[in-house]
Amino acid sequence: METTSRKFRWRHRLRPAGRWLVLFAAVALAWPWRGESSLSVFLPALSPFIAVASAVSVRSVGILALVALPVLLLILFYPRWWCRHACPVGLLQEVVERLRPISPRGLPNSPAIGPWLVLLTLGGAMLGYPLFLWLDPHAIFNSFMNAWRQPIVLATLLTGLGLPVLLLLDIAAPRLWCQRICPLGATQDLLGWPRRLFQRAGRCSKPDHVAGATQPKGRRRWFLAVAAGAAGAVALRSVRGQAALALRPPGSLDEARFVGVCVRCGNCAQVCPSNIIQPDFGGSGIAGFLTPRLRFDADYCRENCNRCNEICPSGAIARLSLAEKRRRVIGSASVDLDICLLAQGRECTACLQKCPYQAITMQSSDGGFSNEPRVDLQRCNGCGACEAVCPTHPVRAVRIQANPLSLPSWTRIIG
Amino acid sequence: MTRRELLKLLTAAGLGAPFATRLVADEADKSPNRSARPENVVVPVSTRDRYPARLVDGKVIQPERPLTVIHETDVLVVGGGPAGFAAAVAAARVGVRTTLVERYGYLGGLWTGGLVLLVYPTHANENSILTKVVRGVGDELLGRIARYSEGATNYAAGKPDPTTDPEITKFVMDQMVQEAGVKMFFHCWVADVVMDGKAVGGVVLESKAGRQAILARVVVDASGDGDVFAAAGAEHEQRLHAVGLVHRLGNADRADLAKLQASGFKNLGAAEPLSSVRWVNLRGPSTDGLDIAELSRLEVEHRRSIWQRVEKIRQAPGGDKVFLLQTAPQIGVRITRLLAGTRKMTAREARSGRKFPDTVAIGGTYGAGAKNPGFHIPYGAMVPKSLDNLIAAGRCLDVDTPMVEDMRLIATCLLTGHAAGVAAALCVLEKCRPRDVDVAQLRGLLVKQGAYLG
Repeated sequence: METTSRKFRWRHRLRPAGRWLVLFAAVALAWPWRGESSLSVFLPALSPFIAVASAVSVRSVGILALVALPVLLLILFYPRWWCRHACPVGLLQEVVERLRPISPRGLPNSPAIGPWLVLLTLGGAMLGYPLFLWLDPHAIFNSFMNAWRQPIVLATLLTGLGLPVLLLLDIAAPRLWCQRICPLGATQDLLGWPRRLFQRAGRCSKPDHVAGATQPKGRRRWFLAVAAGAAGAVALRSVRGQAALALRPPGSLDEARFVGVCVRCGNCAQVCPSNIIQPDFGGSGIAGFLTPRLRFDADYCRENCNRCNEICPSGAIARLSLAEKRRRVIGSASVDLDICLLAQGRECTACLQKCPYQAITMQSSDGGFSNEPRVDLQRCNGCGACEAVCPTHPVRAVRIQANPLSLPSWTRIIG
Repeated sequence: MTRRELLKLLTAAGLGAPFATRLVADEADKSPNRSARPENVVVPVSTRDRYPARLVDGKVIQPERPLTVIHETDVLVVGGGPAGFAAAVAAARVGVRTTLVERYGYLGGLWTGGLVLLVYPTHANENSILTKVVRGVGDELLGRIARYSEGATNYAAGKPDPTTDPEITKFVMDQMVQEAGVKMFFHCWVADVVMDGKAVGGVVLESKAGRQAILARVVVDASGDGDVFAAAGAEHEQRLHAVGLVHRLGNADRADLAKLQASGFKNLGAAEPLSSVRWVNLRGPSTDGLDIAELSRLEVEHRRSIWQRVEKIRQAPGGDKVFLLQTAPQIGVRITRLLAGTRKMTAREARSGRKFPDTVAIGGTYGAGAKNPGFHIPYGAMVPKSLDNLIAAGRCLDVDTPMVEDMRLIATCLLTGHAAGVAAALCVLEKCRPRDVDVAQLRGLLVKQGAYLG
């Protein structure tokens, strides 16, 4: 009896210390004021929810899945292990809860929607569109951290609103997020069957405030939720088809799957050295809200950089080597000859000179008396160097056009 | 002074004086028939010492020989294009004796002789405001051209990039150079440089009058091809670029453009102040603009393709009234030599809006509407690394590959010429080498002359 109580006391002290350690580690990993670093990929990659749902969506298991594997094994046997011992968002919420004058008691009085979110997401993932992947707390934490990159503008700050919203929610309705909504928490509940085998064998773990009996009951409900997720994915896809095409980072999934698999963690925008990755506000439809899109106003996708390809935790942007990335097509340059200075008889050759892939050549007609830039689509990967350098104003004569939906970027690789 | 030297001096004076006065119209004497010299009469043959080159063992050997110094000056500007014009006017206005030599019989270089009539980029996007960067001497010239009816199009407040009439441009340039008190020598080619130790002391001219020299305290190399600094052995690089030939079409207003477009002519050419005339650019192949065999070949080839085009236009429906007004007297060499200066100017710095402590001009950013801020041109790009008493102006400055395309444009040449002229005059006033010029003083003088420095 004595030994168990001492053991309990030890655990009592160790657990908060461990959680604070994880929080500091999470801040350190996602620290946005660091130079070149790929560490911010790890926190979202630790989430089994992201790992499983994105693996199903992308239909491949990447090397990053290894990061989530230990966590997956732990939560298979220990209920809500991650929530208890690690989750940085959960810790922040507990800290915020203490600000309330009256400490909350018991479970929140609302139905658990977390498991439904997970099942819907998995159902959607089977059709390539994991509906609620972006609700993963790690992704929300990362996007908060990444919102502080320089220069601080409203657009990037908005992407970081997730975490403050969760904390405010916790003040209004304590523990509602952790116990009833959080898909990562619900994943742990849904993966409880090996644990229940243990429980039946007599090893009982005491439920505490993070452990919710939140699993939906019955196979039929599971099936219905998954099917609803798949139906939702189909519906969203058809909605997406109407939206304007957005330019995505190199190696991104095809548009329909990209907006689903992307967890909106902001990592890619944070690491981009030329700052061309920016969160989208409705330009790519409701489904694409806050997904990264490229803007070539001032800079372009550098030929010596594949940092966004190394930093994506969900696989929305493929892990590509530099050589592979250079050959992956983002979009294709097209020239508006009505405003192109060279075509108007001025001696501008800015895009011809800037193109890192020598994809733009001078095309002469009328016996050499008219010249215009001609884009060689076999060489153009849509890096945007031409658009960034084009001097016409306010509309650029050279612009990168996104590939139509029928031609996803990954199907065409330049030679 | 020995008798021989005295004789030489007298010969030089005898040769030089009528030569010089005949070239430049005397401002004091406006009467059209001021020298009522009889025509078609015999005059004594001007004697000169002859030093012909000789064939020695199959090699052509040029003997050492003394040259007649026809003129001495403080600032000598070589080349009368946009840069040379601005340099000469600016230097003379500072108050030093200034001389300009030009190989053709008019000023303006490729602007007037090359018929590149579009002056751009005159503006830049400074703090989101379309700002005129070509001010000072260059803007004064444009303004005076625009005062003539059919002198310039698009020269007005808030309008960038005028197109000017070449004859009015030549005429106004002549006037401004004379008003500033610049001594001009047309029809002479700088064949070599006079070295005074390691510094440039003047130039050797070749003309119908033979080989002669002009001595100068400072030389501004506005030859476009860096002829002077190359002859003086200054470090430089050489480039190939497109070499074309401009032509002008007459009766363009009587052509039916809609019908011509159907025949594959997108437009006849660019509009100019004369409504009946269009000027047509030709890019041409990339080649060595210093190679006379290549230039000769291209003159012939370009004229042939111009005639082919004109014939096609005349045969096409709607184009029968169009005729070839002229092909440019000067072939369109874009870039040849680039100086190695004390500072290389890069496109990266230019696009990022980098300011230099020795910024002497702010270049315009071409484009409809001008997207980018003006780029700062450092004085160091105009001063040779080790050669003294020479300042480069115009297209041959120390810049990287993309920057070439900005520096070679007419408006930018007006700016670098202005800066080089003031800097050269300052060297004379302060008795210092170009590299030792007090940059603050230089910038002050430039601003005083109306230049835009941010």
